[in-house]
Amino acid sequence: MELEALQEIYSQVRAVGAEIVAITAEIERYTRALHKKLNLTFDILTDLHLRTAEQFRLVFTLPDYLRELYNSFGSTLDRFHDEADYRLPIPARYVIDKAGGIIRAADVNADYTIRPEPAETLRQLRKLSAAPTA
Amino acid sequence: MTRLQERLDEFKKSFESGAPPYNAMHEAIETMHRATAELKATGIEERALQVGARAPSFTLFNQDHVQVASAELLSRGPLVVSFFRGHW
Repeated sequence: MELEALQEIYSQVRAVGAEIVAITAEIERYTRALHKKLNLTFDILTDLHLRTAEQFRLVFTLPDYLRELYNSFGSTLDRFHDEADYRLPIPARYVIDKAGGIIRAADVNADYTIRPEPAETLRQLRKLSAAPTA
Repeated sequence: MTRLQERLDEFKKSFESGAPPYNAMHEAIETMHRATAELKATGIEERALQVGARAPSFTLFNQDHVQVASAELLSRGPLVVSFFRGHW
């Protein structure tokens, strides 16, 4: 749902000279299918073994009881991620400034049912584009 | 345009009602709530990189097996990075 909402603002994001990437631990077989299914025009990147998510300090390991539940839903993360560990990033959206690669907005929530509004992200990007760049 | 959070709330309500098409079991919903509360309690949100930090650079494969470098994207403009759980 979030990816679709980001797609809705994508042309406006491009219009201010910015770019979007979505990052998941899933291998390309799944990102390719999802990209096609949602008709996305920005990239989904595979963060194999969550190395990038670790650097943003977003990674957690699913407790055993949740692993069993997800498996019962067919969410076999070991297959999706090509690793035995059931690890995930907490959902996070960052706005990174061209100048110095500094994080200008960070929306991080352990509750995966809460996401920031794309309109707010767009507002942050417009603010950045208006500011003089170093 | 409907707000994203309204759409998410609508989905959550439908899922947690236990009705079709999801037919979610009450126990499963309780388990998911417990897991979220426990995760929040670990302080992971506070540990995550925050505003003002330098973003780590990355080079990753996209859905078409083309390498994408954050440094190259940032040379052209601001970058939105959205971490998500997966296709499921």
